[in-house]
Amino acid sequence: MNSLVAGEAASAAQREGTLPPEALPEPVSQGRLVLRKFLRHKLAMVSTVVLLLVVLVAVILPIFWMHKYEDASFPSFARPSSDFPLGTTQVGKDMVSQVLRGTQFSLLIAVVVSIVGTFIGVVFGSVAGYLRGFTDSALSRLTDLFLIIPQIAAAAILAKVFGHGSWFVVALVLALFAWMPIARITRAEAMALSQREFVEAARAAGGGTGRIIFKHLIPNMVGSITVNATLAVAQAVLVEAALSFIGLGVQPPDTSLGRIILENYAQVQTRPWLFFGPFVVLVLISLSINFIGDGLRDAFDPRQRRMKA
Amino acid sequence: MSRWKAVSAVTVAATAALVLSACSGGSGSGGTDQNGSSTDVKSMAVGKAENVNAGTYKLGDVPSWPGPVTVGIDDAYSAYNNQTPDSNTSYNTYILTAVLAGSDVLDGNNKVLLNNDVLDSWDVTSTSPYTVTYKIKPGVKWSDGAPWNCKDYYLAWLAGSGKVKDFNAASTTGYDLISDAKCVDDQTFVTTYAQPYVDYKGLFDSAQMLPAHVLEQQTGIPDITKVTPTSDPATLKKAGDFWTNGWKGFNASIMPASGPYMITAFDENQGAVTLKKNPNWIGAKGGPETVVVKKFSDTKAMATALQNGEINVVASTQPDATAADTLKGLSAQGVIYGSAPQLTYEHLDMNYKNAVLKDDAARKAFFQAVNRTEVTDKLLKEVQADVTPDNSLIWTPGESSYKDAGYGTTAGTGAADAKKTLEADGWTLGADGIYQKNGQRYSVTISHNNNTRRDQTVEIIQSQAKAAGIEIKNDNDPTFLSGGRVSTGNWDIALFGWSQAPFKSQSQPIYSTGGSQNYQAYSDTKVDDAFKQAVVATDEATANQHYADADKQIAADYASLPLFATPSMWAFSGIQKVYMQSYNGALWNVGEWEQK
Amino acid sequence: MNLVIYILRRLAISIPVLFVGTFLVFIMISAAGDPLAELRGRPNINPEAIAQTAQQLGLDMPIIPRYFHWLGNFLTGDWGVSVAQGNAMQPVFPKVMGAFDVTIKLVVGAEILALIVGVAVGVLAAVKQYSIVDYLATTLAFFLFSMPIFCVAVVLKTYAIQVNGWVRDLGLTDWLGNPWLRTTSPENLHSTGFGDFLAKYSGAYLLPTLSIMAISFAAYSRFQRASMLETLNQDYVRTARAKGISGSRVVFRHAFRNALIPVATLFSVNFGQVLTGAIITETVFNWHGMGTLLVDSVNHLDPSTLMGWLVVVAVLVVVANLIADLLYGIMDPRIRVG
Repeated sequence: MNSLVAGEAASAAQREGTLPPEALPEPVSQGRLVLRKFLRHKLAMVSTVVLLLVVLVAVILPIFWMHKYEDASFPSFARPSSDFPLGTTQVGKDMVSQVLRGTQFSLLIAVVVSIVGTFIGVVFGSVAGYLRGFTDSALSRLTDLFLIIPQIAAAAILAKVFGHGSWFVVALVLALFAWMPIARITRAEAMALSQREFVEAARAAGGGTGRIIFKHLIPNMVGSITVNATLAVAQAVLVEAALSFIGLGVQPPDTSLGRIILENYAQVQTRPWLFFGPFVVLVLISLSINFIGDGLRDAFDPRQRRMKA
Repeated sequence: MSRWKAVSAVTVAATAALVLSACSGGSGSGGTDQNGSSTDVKSMAVGKAENVNAGTYKLGDVPSWPGPVTVGIDDAYSAYNNQTPDSNTSYNTYILTAVLAGSDVLDGNNKVLLNNDVLDSWDVTSTSPYTVTYKIKPGVKWSDGAPWNCKDYYLAWLAGSGKVKDFNAASTTGYDLISDAKCVDDQTFVTTYAQPYVDYKGLFDSAQMLPAHVLEQQTGIPDITKVTPTSDPATLKKAGDFWTNGWKGFNASIMPASGPYMITAFDENQGAVTLKKNPNWIGAKGGPETVVVKKFSDTKAMATALQNGEINVVASTQPDATAADTLKGLSAQGVIYGSAPQLTYEHLDMNYKNAVLKDDAARKAFFQAVNRTEVTDKLLKEVQADVTPDNSLIWTPGESSYKDAGYGTTAGTGAADAKKTLEADGWTLGADGIYQKNGQRYSVTISHNNNTRRDQTVEIIQSQAKAAGIEIKNDNDPTFLSGGRVSTGNWDIALFGWSQAPFKSQSQPIYSTGGSQNYQAYSDTKVDDAFKQAVVATDEATANQHYADADKQIAADYASLPLFATPSMWAFSGIQKVYMQSYNGALWNVGEWEQK
Repeated sequence: MNLVIYILRRLAISIPVLFVGTFLVFIMISAAGDPLAELRGRPNINPEAIAQTAQQLGLDMPIIPRYFHWLGNFLTGDWGVSVAQGNAMQPVFPKVMGAFDVTIKLVVGAEILALIVGVAVGVLAAVKQYSIVDYLATTLAFFLFSMPIFCVAVVLKTYAIQVNGWVRDLGLTDWLGNPWLRTTSPENLHSTGFGDFLAKYSGAYLLPTLSIMAISFAAYSRFQRASMLETLNQDYVRTARAKGISGSRVVFRHAFRNALIPVATLFSVNFGQVLTGAIITETVFNWHGMGTLLVDSVNHLDPSTLMGWLVVVAVLVVVANLIADLLYGIMDPRIRVG
């Protein structure tokens, strides 16, 4: 899906006739080329299917599922049965509905983190790379500030004490600490692109900073942005789980896979299903997104060059 | 993580000074009985050489053995002087109970006993004026060789009286009633009270009895017993400053022991304290030679550590069903498990300032909807097999005066009853399945600190209330207790615990109109009157009658719903018997732990 | 000389950033609540004593002056005392340094091991691209990379108890100790001899080290493989090969050196993640290091301890980034710092 968007953006830029051949040698077919390459990447395709299935199940199944997630009227720690395929929790809630709801929250958080983090990173990175000078050093100090304050400390204070562990606050805090690598990559690319003739031409034609950045720079960085945004989703799923596990992430009434694992990890010996249920889903999500990211990277980059993250 | 299961200090014992006379109860129970083992944990509540009838305690004589015995507790030790506001925690008490000798010893049944190893008597020698005379045994010594005598009692009074502001004592309760204290000779200490004080046995307890000779050496005061509240302010300041600030952290040279064990090392980072036998201890010399007490932020990790043989004793005030399950499963390996209700009760306070909850029928319906047995069964049965809901706000189920104040019949009668109550009061069921009246939905929030068990409690109640058309929201605020939000009254329903000392007058400020701990804005003149009569009563029976009246009236008002008395949880292996005392922890009789 | 100026300039730049960082965190944690509030709520408490303690701890000051008071003291070398109730005014400096000591001992060993193993596996996978070794390494790396570190720790802990059982059954307790593998931090590592030391040390450190290694290893091996592949495709390596220089010589004299650069950078830049991993591992294995300290100081609303924690971590981040840049310069002669 991302690659299709990328293709459209690229051809739009091409239609304006501002794109010199060296930026994208075959602009017309680039989107299709990426898509074709991605489709050929077997692991990435399998992962896409798996991820789509997970998303569909997490979104649709709860509507038809026989138990409601908030219903605590069942016996505590019931063993797996046809009624409760993953058993029940200590308070007597159906584990399947817990895992489904946790999956929804985990995915939601990860996507919000990726979108917000990528947006901040791309805007800051390209502005800094394009304008340079004072703006660049000011943004670079801001990056330093976020590198100096550890994410885990910010999460402890902002998400737990002030946000009371609401999923949205947790997502925002994670996003606040997810944009720096993307900004660094975007900045370097923007610097290189801004010296190209087509950008200089646009500037000479009187294009404003905002227009040049959004019309000319960002469309040409779509490849690395897509890859990094995808990998940021996988990263966010794991970081959120880790924070929740040490009690600094999502708190009830909200939930997440990390939170569910925290609540049930001590059962790993006596009632392994309570631990392995959410664990398998979590690994499935992050593994498939990592593979998709890998496939996208290969698809976007003909020389298989790795980005420095 | 857990760390984040911070123990709320409100739920634990405020100060040992609050622990006073006559409280029977504390039923040992748990898996060992269930598992068919013949081990009787209840019998371990009584000391080996304890004389219940005479009310005296001596450390029992057992063979000495090298150990080391490693004990896991929930939080770390921090200070030798536990009586200042910055240091005061029950975890200091857990250690100091073995290190500092005091007038009394509390056994596992919360019986207040004369510490007969160091005292001959603590008699009321006159009732007008009310006078208590302490007879100290000759030959009692600190571990540094200095005598433990009247001087130490005098310092304890001077510091605790509240008459000298330089001694920054967190609580002055009891000591402030002593109008005069003096040393007749080194072995005789006489206190004269401004008014009768029947709970005097709780005073001059172990944590209060700090070494006066160390203070003298450090401040250059020749004789502390010559210093009175009206002495030279410079001298008082010197003494007060050292008392307040000198005994923090760890420095062996100024922190001697008067009890059977002395602190030989304190690793602040690992939260670990090493105790060794005090060579100068006057009483029985047996028991493990080395005891290490260590902090575990997570009860489950503590249980795993015992399972793996890394520690010998688990002593936790944070009951956890999974940990209990693990520990009970180890009975084949000789691990003995115990649990007893603590003098702490969890409850739900209804805020009278809330638009929904100020309505009597709304509160009544909520009480009917909440099935507390389901809460205790799911959360605590694994920990304490005979756990029941708490039906009184004044007494906890272990106490002899405990009676159902009415909650047994008014609470948890079911969703149908709750609906009937609401409908009779004009509430109608909305399309969303929630009752409403005059455009007001029955949607309230339960606020609590960040604690797994409280989250689970709310989850169960949420589900029960939903069946009765009541919407409950879960407000998980880590600063609810620690940041003081509970006292602002900015909540609908508060879920937290009060520590319930046998000293019942402390309930008065919680439930009286305008009381200092009445955060829920509850007011009933009948309750106010009952408390007023109770606190001035001259005998215990009359006082108890008035307290019971107050208890019943609060229940009839549906003001606050008691849930359960929080059980403690302990387990041990390789030792004959260990019993976790409600206030002083597991080490109250460590000197008589025998190797198995 | 240029290098010294460069380092000094980099450090000077981070000072205002550090200032802003501490200010923000201090304000947030102080605004969250009064550390003595819980004590005030208890029955039979002496309000005058609490007021006196609050004054002693500086809690009676408004938040912003309190920050500058802290900063003034801090700049003169006084890190202050913990203001958390129950902590008995423990001095912050030894508290933070003690916790740091615990964490750093855990992390450095694990990271060095992860780096060695990761680089070795990465090089091997690149040299034997598309071989079975490569596929195995890639699969393992992807799994570990996609696995939450705490699950690795939890599973390790569960099996440790079993391993100790085998140790007992095999009668190895005389050499390895009983229990050998610990699920919690050791009280001490006093040992009677080298063998005893080895057994105690390995028992205490093995599980947390493996947990921290797991995630870092994955990143290092993937990175090393990619950068090694890239270097092997460079013209100069091809030229060297064409000139008839032997395979292993090319790999180690030419390619390896250059391929190490990005990994060395990753080692320093990844510091924040490593710290998070360490904190989680500490939590699972009940080690009281920087993780516990952070969580405790936030839970107890203790700004002074949190400040000490933050300064130590921030300085480490600054230094780690600086080292990364310098390493880059040393290892790649084409890049000149300054």
